[in-house]
Amino acid sequence: MQKIRPPFVFDENLNSSFLEELFEGDTKYAEAVFEDFLKDLPVYWERVESAYHTRNLPNLGTSVHTCKTLFGYVGFTDLQEQCQQFENKCSVNSPEELRLDYILLIQRKEKAQHVIEKEYARLRIFNGESD
Amino acid sequence: MKLSCIIVEDIQIAADFLRKFCEKSDLVEVRGHFLNVTDALEFLDRERVDLLFLDVEMPGANGFDLLDRLTYSPMIILTTSKTEYAFNAFQYHVNDYLKKPFTYKRFLEAIGKLQQQTADVAQGQPPVATAPAETGFLFIKADDKLTKIRIDDILFLESMRDYVKFVTPSKSYVTYSTLKNMEEKLNGQTFLKVHRSYIVNLAKIDDIRGNTIYILGNQIPIGKGHKDGLESRLNIL
Repeated sequence: MQKIRPPFVFDENLNSSFLEELFEGDTKYAEAVFEDFLKDLPVYWERVESAYHTRNLPNLGTSVHTCKTLFGYVGFTDLQEQCQQFENKCSVNSPEELRLDYILLIQRKEKAQHVIEKEYARLRIFNGESD
Repeated sequence: MKLSCIIVEDIQIAADFLRKFCEKSDLVEVRGHFLNVTDALEFLDRERVDLLFLDVEMPGANGFDLLDRLTYSPMIILTTSKTEYAFNAFQYHVNDYLKKPFTYKRFLEAIGKLQQQTADVAQGQPPVATAPAETGFLFIKADDKLTKIRIDDILFLESMRDYVKFVTPSKSYVTYSTLKNMEEKLNGQTFLKVHRSYIVNLAKIDDIRGNTIYILGNQIPIGKGHKDGLESRLNIL
């Protein structure tokens, strides 16, 4: 008799109920999206860093906005909120005033990236086992 | 029948999701994906589609710039992760608004709503049986009756989502139809679409200042994509 495989359970740091609805059990597609995220995030984040260091606040807001969207597709809904607040501050604050928020955002982004790297590895194993 | 669409989106993951949803639904055919407004407009100058999935914030021009330059009126679904655009979306008469990231269920709701809107408009066509050019008047269904309007009296028409407002010097009438439908009905007359939401009677224009047309105290914006067409129809000495 064939064993029924338990479904993939997303990491507790992620909004798992949303991800389940988004991927509808398609873990292969989830793996592809997580892989794309890890490939795309450094490219988009470079734009964030460049805008911050050149004190280009409109570009900084737009670049964080792009990263915010990206975080949403891998279930970081709380990080999306943090990005939104930062994005709002870009239109009213100076680079000096944004410094602390910027550091916090970098720390949070690095943690998030680490979670997704682990999650991507787990998805690959899960999908490999089901092939 | 499938709706033809293009996706205007600078984030690849978001565009891939949308394409996947379109294919899965078998209701929407994706004719192209464009990473910016310029490339999308180049395509839209050559080909017409039923529907645009349009991101707002993109490098260079934004989604509303694209809507300003469009010379016809496809259905529009805005896809953005910012809710602040809701007011602009209303002003531009977009058909729906999807906050990214959205699920397949939400996507299907939006498409279902479009299909319903299309069916409602098709069923509720105003009874303009004879070509208005031949009779000099038309009848519109407004306030539960058929009202006769002389073509010469119409100053301009304004799109109000699924309704059209006819403005005459003495009164305005609102009827259930689309600007696209009215554009076809008034084809060959002195009427010209000057903005996604406006058709004006050229004979009624008092003056034009910058990107605004003035007709009996009403100000009508000129869309960027309509400026050349308007100039070519005016007798400029």
